[in-house]
Amino acid sequence: MDRALRRKIANYIFIGLCIIGTAIALGALALILWSLFSQGIGGMNLKIFTMDTPAAGSEGGLRNAIVGSILMCGVGMIIAVVIGILAGTWLAEIGGDTAYGHVVRFLNDVLLSAPSILIGLFVYELLVFKSNPLSLGHFSGWAGAISLAILATPIVTRTTEDILNLQPNALREAGMALGASQFTTIRTIIWKAAGSGLLTGGLLGFARISGETAPLLFTALGNQFYNGDLSQPMASLPVTMFNFALTPYADLNKLAWAGALLVAVAVLAVNILGRWLARDKNSH
Amino acid sequence: MPAETKSIRFDPTDPIFRWVSFSAATLLLVVLGGLIASLVYGGWPALSTFGLDFFLKFKDCPAGSGAHFCIDTPWNPVTDVYSATAPIVGTIVTSFLALLFALPIAIGVAVFLTQFCPRYLAQPLSTAVELLAGIPSIVYGMWGLFVFAPWFAKDIQTPLMIAASQDPTSWVAKLVAGVPNGANLFTASIILAVMVLPYMASVFRELFRSIPPQVREAAFGIGATPFEVTTSVIIPYVKKGMIGVIMLGLGRALGETMAVTFIIGNSHRFPKSLFDSSSTIASTIANEFAEATTDLHTSALVALGLILFLITFTVLAIARWLLSSQRY
Amino acid sequence: MTDTTSPDFQSVITPPPADSLVLEVKKLNFFYGQNQALYDVNLPVKKNAITALIGPSGCGKSTLLRIINRIYDLYPGQRAEGVIDFEGENIIGPNVDLVALRARIGMVFQKPTPFPMSIYDNVAFGVRLHSSKSKSELDEIVETSLRRAALWEEVKDKLTKSGLGLSGGQQQRLCVARGIAVNPEILLLDEPASALDPISTAKLEDTLEELKTDYTIVIVTHNLQQAARLSDYTGFMFLGKMIEFGPTEELFVKPKVDKTGEYIGGRFG
Repeated sequence: MDRALRRKIANYIFIGLCIIGTAIALGALALILWSLFSQGIGGMNLKIFTMDTPAAGSEGGLRNAIVGSILMCGVGMIIAVVIGILAGTWLAEIGGDTAYGHVVRFLNDVLLSAPSILIGLFVYELLVFKSNPLSLGHFSGWAGAISLAILATPIVTRTTEDILNLQPNALREAGMALGASQFTTIRTIIWKAAGSGLLTGGLLGFARISGETAPLLFTALGNQFYNGDLSQPMASLPVTMFNFALTPYADLNKLAWAGALLVAVAVLAVNILGRWLARDKNSH
Repeated sequence: MPAETKSIRFDPTDPIFRWVSFSAATLLLVVLGGLIASLVYGGWPALSTFGLDFFLKFKDCPAGSGAHFCIDTPWNPVTDVYSATAPIVGTIVTSFLALLFALPIAIGVAVFLTQFCPRYLAQPLSTAVELLAGIPSIVYGMWGLFVFAPWFAKDIQTPLMIAASQDPTSWVAKLVAGVPNGANLFTASIILAVMVLPYMASVFRELFRSIPPQVREAAFGIGATPFEVTTSVIIPYVKKGMIGVIMLGLGRALGETMAVTFIIGNSHRFPKSLFDSSSTIASTIANEFAEATTDLHTSALVALGLILFLITFTVLAIARWLLSSQRY
Repeated sequence: MTDTTSPDFQSVITPPPADSLVLEVKKLNFFYGQNQALYDVNLPVKKNAITALIGPSGCGKSTLLRIINRIYDLYPGQRAEGVIDFEGENIIGPNVDLVALRARIGMVFQKPTPFPMSIYDNVAFGVRLHSSKSKSELDEIVETSLRRAALWEEVKDKLTKSGLGLSGGQQQRLCVARGIAVNPEILLLDEPASALDPISTAKLEDTLEELKTDYTIVIVTHNLQQAARLSDYTGFMFLGKMIEFGPTEELFVKPKVDKTGEYIGGRFG
């Protein structure tokens, strides 16, 4: 066969394979989204928000799980944002180039992708398991919130460092040259200039932890009843979904799908908001 | 008019700020250190009780089997004897199978999005892929449990097993043996693959986009076809980075809990076929930890966690090293 | 002498003899999306000669080059109108085999772009694409190309080493060698010396001087001396228009358009 023709055919086969691959990937993901919406919408009604998780066969909703998720994610995020922004600022502005800075950055990256179930084990040993002075001795919302904080902190740290590194050095020099201290420069100029980027980082971290199940299984455990007290075992949407999905009861399975839809929509919304904020900044 | 004079005396805000932010950075290390320490501490009773048997336990081979050695895979809360071999094997096999399925497709998606896709489609598709990478893994797990596994059992596994039953000794029959409920090594790997796919595709896409445009232009400028440009210039250009991304995907697959736990079948023995039930480290911990009956059982689960940590730490460390040494 | 006078600008073209042309750009307009970058550009290219394109940055000279071997096709939204006559065929017309075209009209870019492979494989890359050659034939082509690009002596002992390990000047000459290895009829060079030191530049210029016996060369440069030293014909472009084109000595010594004189005289640019 003619060489040019052979090359052309190889090229078309390759492009065809790439398109097929993309079609398979998007098709599979579309199937999942379709199941999520069709099954989730079926279980969606006002009771989801007004009633607590039921026993099999009785009527109920997900109110306690929704409140628990919001509480634990909220507290976890506050901790993660404070520590993450400080740590990221330290890496970007102060000690990032030292040997210690390299170690911190590297291990932060490792922590960023560490299996989330191990974070749960760690917090269990630290805050739930009895033989330990810090421990509450039982499952609690605090333990859940701290697990989520540990998951989100590396993300916030990483994005903070990346965003601050994008700020021009001239900004720092200009601040310092006016006689501002380093802290004042960072606080009033750098953090402000990086504001929407930092917010995006926080939102991405929030999106990541709001669907996390594994680290809550044996820290917050779950709670059948409404509970706003973080020192007690606390329900969460993902753990409720996990438990209800594994029961043989159709009504509980339905609630699990409704919860999945809620979580997925929340995660997507937060992600889109984060991206929109980041894009807004880039276009200026 | 002179400016208001300001004391040039030492101002302590900066050192305090430095100290506080340094502490925050150090806290990250403390957490990681604490994580390792707690896994070692919690896993120690099991590790010291079983010693090397925890990793690999031999048993007497059944008479007449002709095998030189046989591996025992006990995981028995009643007799309180545990060995990690089966979950380790399950973890590694599912992760590798998942990568095997996901990798070519992820590369195809990234190549399509960066090289061939019309521009009006590229941006929305890329955003869609990135958003899908953020969907919580439990959603993938539930889809596997309620939709994929039943379909697979009915339309793939059962027909295959019926067909294979004509000749029970054939390799196909051995490969597809199992309980036809869709909860097995193979389906778990598929769900895992679907879960890591958008993540890997979007990181690959970032990587391809980082290649300077003039390299691509130069390759086209010499008369190479898109296929040749991709395979002989673009992919070699980011070879190290690509291996890094593969390792990142592997790290994710190894540690993933929720996408797998629902449909792997949770049995602690060596899978005998592709369609046999199995377990992974993460699924074992998720299923048993809250209900562990004895201290040794709890400790064995924590020790499993330690093994998972060591495996993923190694994989992730290699990934980060490769990605950071990639020069553009 | 052709005098294309359009309402808003003047374009004075002094073409080489018609039978010596290998390629001719006629009335070329080019658009980046909504923005027009070239306006009715004409450019006759003489065979086995060096044609230089000069002009201030942003004047469209690189754009013109990128149209001739249709690299612009990589970017959706870019569009060319007009005719580029290459042996009776219109390069920017429909049904052009881009792969075959680019094998015959090669291009060397502003920044050195060695591929991530050995020096040998870099040079052999294009040859292997377009034809199947034996090992010894390939060895010979690689050596000849590297010699012609004045790089052979410096790299002959490390042909298996990565092309990325060479200095900037060597990398650029490697790219020239890679370009001529496929034996194109026309070689387009887009400011090939802009990233090079004076010594490497001089070597590259010697290379081009020698190459013109076998190849037709079109070079874009912002260095007027380089254009004056090297080229046989020069085109001066400004704001997307071909202001003046003619034999190099004429254009530099007594330009026919005032604007050309101002640019050469250093009054803007």
